[in-house]
Amino acid sequence: MSEHRDTENLRPNAPSLENEDIASVFGTVTEDEVKLRKRQLLWLLLLLVLLLLCLCATVYLFIRYLQKPEPLPELVPVPVEANYPPHYLFSIYGVDEPVGVALSPEGDRIYVAESAGERLIKVFDPEGNFLFSFAPPRTTSPQRVPVYLATDAWGRVYVSDRLQHAVFVYDRDGNFLDALLAPDFTLSEYVAHAFEGELPEGTFAFNLFEQTVYVLSPDGEVAQTLPAPPREMRDPWAPLGVYIDPTGRLFLTDVIGEEHRVLVYPAEAIMRDDWTNFDPPVLSFGTAGEEEDQFLFPNMAVVDALGRIIVSDGNNGRLSVWDEQGNFLYLFAAVGDGGLNLPRGMELDDRQRLHVVDTVGQGVRVYDFSVPEPQYLFTFGTPGKLDGQFNFPVDIAITPEGRLYITDRANNRVQVWSY
Amino acid sequence: MKRAVWILAFIVGLAVWSSGTVWANGGPHGDYTATTDACAGCHRAHTAQGPRLLTSPSTYDLCMSCHGSAGTGADTNVADGYFLSTRSSSTIGETNTLDNAPLLGGGFVNYDGAAVTSTHDVTGTVTAAWGNGVDRGQTGNLAEGLDCASCHNPHGSTNYRILQTTVNNVTVQVTDYDPGPNKDYDTENWTTAELSSFCAACHQSYHETAAGTGSDPTALTYGGGFTHRVDMPFSYDGNANPETTGLGGFTLPLADNGATADQLVVCTTCHLPHGTSAQMTGFANGVGPAGDSALLRLDNRGVCQVCHQK
Repeated sequence: MSEHRDTENLRPNAPSLENEDIASVFGTVTEDEVKLRKRQLLWLLLLLVLLLLCLCATVYLFIRYLQKPEPLPELVPVPVEANYPPHYLFSIYGVDEPVGVALSPEGDRIYVAESAGERLIKVFDPEGNFLFSFAPPRTTSPQRVPVYLATDAWGRVYVSDRLQHAVFVYDRDGNFLDALLAPDFTLSEYVAHAFEGELPEGTFAFNLFEQTVYVLSPDGEVAQTLPAPPREMRDPWAPLGVYIDPTGRLFLTDVIGEEHRVLVYPAEAIMRDDWTNFDPPVLSFGTAGEEEDQFLFPNMAVVDALGRIIVSDGNNGRLSVWDEQGNFLYLFAAVGDGGLNLPRGMELDDRQRLHVVDTVGQGVRVYDFSVPEPQYLFTFGTPGKLDGQFNFPVDIAITPEGRLYITDRANNRVQVWSY
Repeated sequence: MKRAVWILAFIVGLAVWSSGTVWANGGPHGDYTATTDACAGCHRAHTAQGPRLLTSPSTYDLCMSCHGSAGTGADTNVADGYFLSTRSSSTIGETNTLDNAPLLGGGFVNYDGAAVTSTHDVTGTVTAAWGNGVDRGQTGNLAEGLDCASCHNPHGSTNYRILQTTVNNVTVQVTDYDPGPNKDYDTENWTTAELSSFCAACHQSYHETAAGTGSDPTALTYGGGFTHRVDMPFSYDGNANPETTGLGGFTLPLADNGATADQLVVCTTCHLPHGTSAQMTGFANGVGPAGDSALLRLDNRGVCQVCHQK
């Protein structure tokens, strides 16, 4: 009671009801204690609100992850610059000795090329659910081997075929559009030539083994056949690696005879929807051999943000770096830390980290190409058949969110990893 | 003296030129330098995953990483039995080896555009061979499981097509006959009867070379019944040349030492060592001991008829 009076003396004009209320709750207290407890109440309230917000955020993230289970980089405002290896997530099965892999521009489809079995291009959603498959029309499985793939900004899918000596082009749903039958010669160009400049209605197909070009009616029936283009109309080639850079340029590797080389097509020629007059100025560089400016089975050529063309020089076990005019610059990753055994497919991520699949190294080696002097960062993957182990991997595709799809050929699967 | 120098220079030049046209050696298969990094391409000294210190538990998978159907590291696609790319005219007869020319060894998965009907299983699981130290029609254990390296030496070889010089603990030699600038990759270049001896390292009982082995029991060395003679001139019994004349467009290869009269019928005249897609029907179907197409080059018994033309 006396304490209550003391409080009134200290704050004579203050209404006493509030303090009496507090006093009724906490018993008899001094005004300092009342202030302190009010402050504590406020903090407690603030804490509860924060906890509630955290709970809401957790529930939101959980629900969102259930709907779209992907990393959430957009929630991290500051880019993470630490270089740490990715971790294994899961594998996509149901593919027979997969070789090439590519993503649709939207990232909603994964295209995988099989080198055994039916030798199809199989399409999966990001979670590994099979969607559909396709193959060059009018070919049987022993007559085709799709190897590497790439997609352009329109979603068209480019597939090199080792047995057909062609690059087949499909729309995003696997409908056949056209084919490169030689470095500067297309199937539609040949058909248009055969029909005196006018393309007939319907689509076309090419089969090297049958030495036949098929003109198909809109309902898919064979309307007419033509002999395959004679040799003098198309230079011999053996297309292997396929890559389309962010500006739309097409990069192919060609492993014909002694001309192991890289071919670069301008974007304006590739992005045209009519290839009946296909005669682009193609940049070509490289020959077959072991000298520093030569290749032995170049498997892939990519371009980094500094304009360097990087070639995985397969059987020479190194990366070969060239400028945009096709002048040799230097070799990289041939020996020492990050030295490559048998580099095949490769891909740059958004941070200009080059991921190179080392087929007999049974893993992926990662290099920093964001700087003028590239650096080896780390390797991930070990030999074997368990989760996260590789058995002759070949190719890689990377989403902007940092998810990696890696073909694990002899394990008959596509491994999915994530940063 | 001056003439002798010119002759010597010519010989040296010829030797250098010839060494540049070696086919399967070189690249990852031999010609290693003292500081080579190539070993690590396939082997690990202390952390190997397979026998022979290989990085892979499977020799077959390792070989197929280059020579498989995708052909990401070689022109010889042994899965489908194709030579993938035209050879450059500056090396080996461009005009003679077209894109996708059939390989002389056949294919392990497909051949001639169709699935194989019999192969040498080189995945390492086969541990015995027909007629290996036993009568024909029976199998005897091999020195080790059969894989690609049982017959080919990935480190290079003095033999044709980098064939091993020791197979199943037997020393063998298959000289690479060089027909000169016209040679290509889809024409056989086996010298004399050596190739049969190579096959006989595992299939000794089938290596009957004496005349009369088909009808005279005294000519037989091994048991298991009468058998077709090998290492014999094609002209024996007045046969037409199966390689140049053939029958109905079908031909069979002969061992070639450059002299037409000496061309010999060897094992690979009738059999594809890798695998065949030949179809066996009617009487030819299910013939023992294996009951399959027995690696034969032609459907049914076309291999008999191309020579004998009955």
